[in-house]
Amino acid sequence: MRAFEYIAARDSRHAVALLSEYGASAKVLAGGTDLLVEFKAASHVPHVVIDISRAEDLRGITLTEQGLSIGASVTHTEIMRSPLIRELCPALVDAAHTIGAVQTRNLGTLGGNLVTCVPSMDSGPTLIALDAMVSIAGPAGCKDMALIEFFVGPRKSILKPGELLVAVVIPKKNLGKPAVFMKFGLRKGQALALVNVAASVHIDSDRHVFREPRIALGAVAPTVIRAQQAEAYLEGRAVTPEAMAEAGGIAAGEAKPISDFRASAAYRRDLIAVLTRRALENICARAGAMREGG
Amino acid sequence: MADVTVKVNGKLRTASVPPETTLLQLLRDHFNLTGAKLGCDVGDCGACTVIVDGKPVNACLMLVGQADGRDVLTIEGLATRDQLHPLQKAFEDHASLQCGFCGPGIILSAKALLDEVPNPTVPEIRDALSGNLCRCTGYTKMIEAIQAAARVLREEPAEPNA
Amino acid sequence: MAHKTEIGVREQRVTQKTLHSVDETLRLPAVTPPVTYPIETLVPQVRQQTPAVGQRVTRPDGRLHGLGQTRYIDDLAFPGMLYAKIKRAGIASARIKRIDTREAEAMPGVMAVLTGREIPVNSFGPSLKDQPVLADDRVFHAGDGVAAVAAVTEQIALEALDKIKVEYEPLPAVFDPLEALKDDAHKVHAPNSNIYATKVIKKGDIDKGFAASDHIFEGSFRTQMVEHVPLEPHAAIAVWDPNGRVTIHSTLGRITLGRADISRTLKLPLNRIRIIATIVGGNFGGKNEITQEPVLALLSKKTGRPVKGVFTRTEEFIATTTRHPIIMDYKTGVTKDGRILARKVRLVLDGGAYCSWSETTLGKACILSAGPYKIDNLLAEAFVVYTNKTMTGAMRGFGAPQVCFAYESHMDDIAAALDLDPLDIRLLNAFEEGSPSPTGQVLQSVAVKDSLLQAAQRFGWKEARK
Repeated sequence: MRAFEYIAARDSRHAVALLSEYGASAKVLAGGTDLLVEFKAASHVPHVVIDISRAEDLRGITLTEQGLSIGASVTHTEIMRSPLIRELCPALVDAAHTIGAVQTRNLGTLGGNLVTCVPSMDSGPTLIALDAMVSIAGPAGCKDMALIEFFVGPRKSILKPGELLVAVVIPKKNLGKPAVFMKFGLRKGQALALVNVAASVHIDSDRHVFREPRIALGAVAPTVIRAQQAEAYLEGRAVTPEAMAEAGGIAAGEAKPISDFRASAAYRRDLIAVLTRRALENICARAGAMREGG
Repeated sequence: MADVTVKVNGKLRTASVPPETTLLQLLRDHFNLTGAKLGCDVGDCGACTVIVDGKPVNACLMLVGQADGRDVLTIEGLATRDQLHPLQKAFEDHASLQCGFCGPGIILSAKALLDEVPNPTVPEIRDALSGNLCRCTGYTKMIEAIQAAARVLREEPAEPNA
Repeated sequence: MAHKTEIGVREQRVTQKTLHSVDETLRLPAVTPPVTYPIETLVPQVRQQTPAVGQRVTRPDGRLHGLGQTRYIDDLAFPGMLYAKIKRAGIASARIKRIDTREAEAMPGVMAVLTGREIPVNSFGPSLKDQPVLADDRVFHAGDGVAAVAAVTEQIALEALDKIKVEYEPLPAVFDPLEALKDDAHKVHAPNSNIYATKVIKKGDIDKGFAASDHIFEGSFRTQMVEHVPLEPHAAIAVWDPNGRVTIHSTLGRITLGRADISRTLKLPLNRIRIIATIVGGNFGGKNEITQEPVLALLSKKTGRPVKGVFTRTEEFIATTTRHPIIMDYKTGVTKDGRILARKVRLVLDGGAYCSWSETTLGKACILSAGPYKIDNLLAEAFVVYTNKTMTGAMRGFGAPQVCFAYESHMDDIAAALDLDPLDIRLLNAFEEGSPSPTGQVLQSVAVKDSLLQAAQRFGWKEARK
């Protein structure tokens, strides 16, 4: 790689101070599974690399007043093993498990996956389906926003120069909400998603209807998106196989997939419909609340 | 220059190297531990796998600064000429390696698995090896060897000759 | 008076015993006692078990592999060794107007730069000598090397490549092999035709055969370009000795051929070239010919220091040989019970930018294209064409896997159309002991039907079909 300076940030405050000091000539390094690959291919590298992988306050998984807070430097392996996450949002464990392979999961971080902002990211959809918020630290202090606003475009997050993603928070009310993540890639491991679908919904056990549905789609638009028309269709609707299939069809129509060497847009739309339906069926099966069709 | 101190195979090693040096370059070029291999340099093939603080990682994706102060186990630290690690013995007995280039990475990934899961299922073994590519063998004999080594480590009697 | 210095030499009687004691002291392996050479050599009978077959073998290299002690080429280092990198064209077809290496040469740490015009004989190849060591005047595919640098570190060598300025005049290019077949297509190696090898196998009379057939089936099959992806990239180290002999440590598989190519390109007598091939990290046919060896040898000569070159994974894909994509058109005439009466095959091999092992691949693919089936009337025409893509060469199978995919898929299609068991149609047509191959070779040790039947039994074929 071309030469750069390396500074290990002690904590998020130190990192933000360094970012202010070095400005555009600095880049934040967490797991390096994306950044270092980029550097190796690049003709220019930043002057300074600020390593947050061991910044103390970015590595925790804790329950707060707001909900479950996951630090930006938490690795995918740590997510998979966290007793809190396994209990309160196991779909996130499944999502983390689909990322890369063992070695990359031991290095790669949640923050890195979100900030890199590729449309096929595997951690985003489940978090969107659980209405996650993000905490951003900057020279002016800390601010929170909905994760869905964090993604601006392919490889473009909302972070301004000098800002740092410090944590992702899953709101308290959604801890324990049924959720499923499904990824379709050309391989079972080390695969880029052709389509990602995350679904989260309550099944009202008295009236057998869907409540507060969320359907997040990945790799089929410039950023991770919510299939809001499919969500609106499901809200309050009776839980039937037909409804779930219909929701899948609507979600497929809301996506804007591209055709590339991995798959055609048509194939991707097909996948969205199938995976959405399966995700919903999965949630229903677990809730044991299927009402016979008709 | 970055001054780094890393515990490699139980011994404290120091080096003064440019900060953009990867752990793989540190091991191969500066410490002459050439067991970890350069296969792709982007974390896809796993030939550079080493165990850092108990976890297998791609050494080509770790900067020396990130390895500073950590505990690194390379293939050279598993055994000496007189005493093979059960995994190395099993790989030899089962003829699990052909060209051998992926071997160090695979064996270390397997070791990391067996350290945590003493009796892994075949799907668990496959998952543990998912970051290590092999172009020669088709993995079957590696999986057999890992199961055999796991039995030895659990101190169970060997299976009757299959 | 001059003082005479007495130099005494102790005389020692050297015996087996003294030699053994030296060995003991140095812990060298003991001298093995002589054994009587077996006078009778074992000549195995056809299809008879030999002692070796079926025995469990422990690979002798297994232990060192597991220990991580096997030394591949990239694990070797020599005092004063430099690192070489090659600049790739990045354009599929062009004329090189100018190469300016001055800025690269002036970089601190850069010890030498090499371009195509410095190569004594800038062409080589296993058969057609159409491949340059470094592109001199013309670029024929995007992976062509146009210049090389030797520097004290790999990183400096890489950065020096960026400083080499090459001015290209883009030329027309052809990428599709069927396009390349046409008379008016851009000629990759003008003025020669793009079709650089042909093979035709004619047996019997296909017109009569088709006329006598109850059904005629046609199918068209394509396979893709495949890269070997050995875990170990191509690597080599060139070291000269004071007597003007070069030793090249290389991942090269065919070292005798390599030596001949290096002798030709460097205009060096064969006895001045030594190639040491060590344990290789996977070859699969992709390391069958030289790639960077002459470049490293020349850089080493220029700098007076050993020079090592290791390909990046990207170079493995764009600058080393790949498997030929083949377009295979089949026409088969059968009786109503599925016996093949005639077959017509046309193969078009995508031959990439250079010949490499295409002729062998062409030959094998053509001969095997009919499949292991008794066909009295056959016409197989095969062509390999130049395209402005990565050169295609040897890869395990040498043309066989591609045509096997085609003729077996075709067989399945025919079986399905005739509502026949895919196994039965094969048993009906398969080679038997003494069957002639398409080129007239009388085949012995023919186990096709036995294998099919045994496999069918083992996999429960009949049961699954019920």
